[in-house]
Amino acid sequence: MFGWLQQIGHRVLSIVAGLGRSAQLLLAALMGLGYVLKNFRLLIKQVYVTGVLSIAIIGVSGLFIGMVLGLQGYSILVDFGAEDALGQMVALTLLRELSPVVAALLFAGRAGSALTAEIGLMKATEQLASMEMIGVDPVKRVIAPRLYAGIIALPLLCILFSIIGVWGGMLVGVEWLGVFDGSYWGNMQASVSFTHDVMNGVIKSIVFAFVVTWIAVFQGYDLEPTSEGISRATTKTVVHGSLAVLGLDFVLTALMFGDF
Amino acid sequence: MTFLREKRAIFSDLSLRIPKGKITAIMGPSGTGKTTLLRLIGGQLKPDQGDVVVDGHSVPSLSRKQLFELRQRMGMLFQSGALFSELTVFENVAFPLRVHTKLPEDMIRDLVLIKLESVGLRGARDLMPSELSGGMSRRVALARAIALDPELMMYDEPFVGQDPITLGVLVKLIRQLNDALNMTTVLVSHDIDECLSIADHVCVLSGGKVLVQGSPEEILQSDLSEVKQFIQGLPDGPVPFRYPANDFAEDILFAGKDGVAG
Repeated sequence: MFGWLQQIGHRVLSIVAGLGRSAQLLLAALMGLGYVLKNFRLLIKQVYVTGVLSIAIIGVSGLFIGMVLGLQGYSILVDFGAEDALGQMVALTLLRELSPVVAALLFAGRAGSALTAEIGLMKATEQLASMEMIGVDPVKRVIAPRLYAGIIALPLLCILFSIIGVWGGMLVGVEWLGVFDGSYWGNMQASVSFTHDVMNGVIKSIVFAFVVTWIAVFQGYDLEPTSEGISRATTKTVVHGSLAVLGLDFVLTALMFGDF
Repeated sequence: MTFLREKRAIFSDLSLRIPKGKITAIMGPSGTGKTTLLRLIGGQLKPDQGDVVVDGHSVPSLSRKQLFELRQRMGMLFQSGALFSELTVFENVAFPLRVHTKLPEDMIRDLVLIKLESVGLRGARDLMPSELSGGMSRRVALARAIALDPELMMYDEPFVGQDPITLGVLVKLIRQLNDALNMTTVLVSHDIDECLSIADHVCVLSGGKVLVQGSPEEILQSDLSEVKQFIQGLPDGPVPFRYPANDFAEDILFAGKDGVAG
């Protein structure tokens, strides 16, 4: 009779237990900063794997999103004779919202899923267990460098996304549709605030990087070491990571740009 | 020591002593918790009751730091080899030396080559783990496990799936390493002939308890029906071969009624 109640209770308990385990892992990984700094090459390698190898997808996406913004922005602004404000619109949209969010979503899909699958396979093939038996803490050696690398890589990717996006907007607006380039860049320079727009965007991407990488490494470390378990965990990384980014984006936007 | 997994007792009041400097073979049917026992000794699992003592240290009560220090004196050969897939054979064997010693690079090179030569794979040093056969992987893993000359060496099913040549080499290697490095060896296996040929002390587990322990001769002469069944490989006996099920004829004749066969 109370089967459903029992099921709900069991589900809630397992979620709470999972949150507890993820917090423990996060704390242990953050405490591994000393080890990461001592073994700096581990961090460099992970920045390469998570960051440098994501440059292509971030660059291409940034270019197309910038071009679409240029096109859509022009078609709306030209009706009001305000096409000179195109640069301002493209830059603010990218810096405040699209760059941090889209870069984080792409990062969850490319680097996050790869992190989960890699750590999961290391667990399934007993590499983490053998590392423990050699007397090396896998949380410090495997998890911590990946967590810090994600936190470093995503904000840089986000900046790259913005730069390429602004250039893409210019390509469409100025080169193809004939907006005066002086007003494109001039209005942008006049309206974009470094602290309010650029830095808030970067802060957003740091928060997203932290959350997405945390989810990715935890899902990899905590998964059931079977092929089905790895597949489920990889999916969870992308789904939970993306939802967390979108949810947190609203909260951060309200805190940073909400007038209350 | 008692160890439970999801309320099911894997070991209940198990009491076992592993003699120093000898090869102890832990044998028993599949699912008796032989690998779990190695993980308890290595501190990867904690007993629910009782204690696991390694060289005077109570493993479950050690701090994480102390446990990692103790593990530097242990070596373990995993069933799958568990080589680090992103490192070459050379780097896999050098890994424990690099993280736990401050030896100069040329000395690390010499030590790695000595360990690889002892398992016959010096020529494979530049290969990646994905390029190795199962037997070769296990030999590289063995070279890595003995890189720091451990005092306690644990082998998890080292003979499974090996061809006769590799099997013979492994048996000889385990004996030679134990004697040359004066280490204590714990060997988990259900390969009776190989175990009895090299072990000094044998311990047969079943149902979470020690059935019998002693020298290989004593095990062979044991009157216990469970031990006889295991040694002779008989399907019928006190150790059930079949998983509990309802009557076979009934299952066949009334197929479909429970929705299994459609």
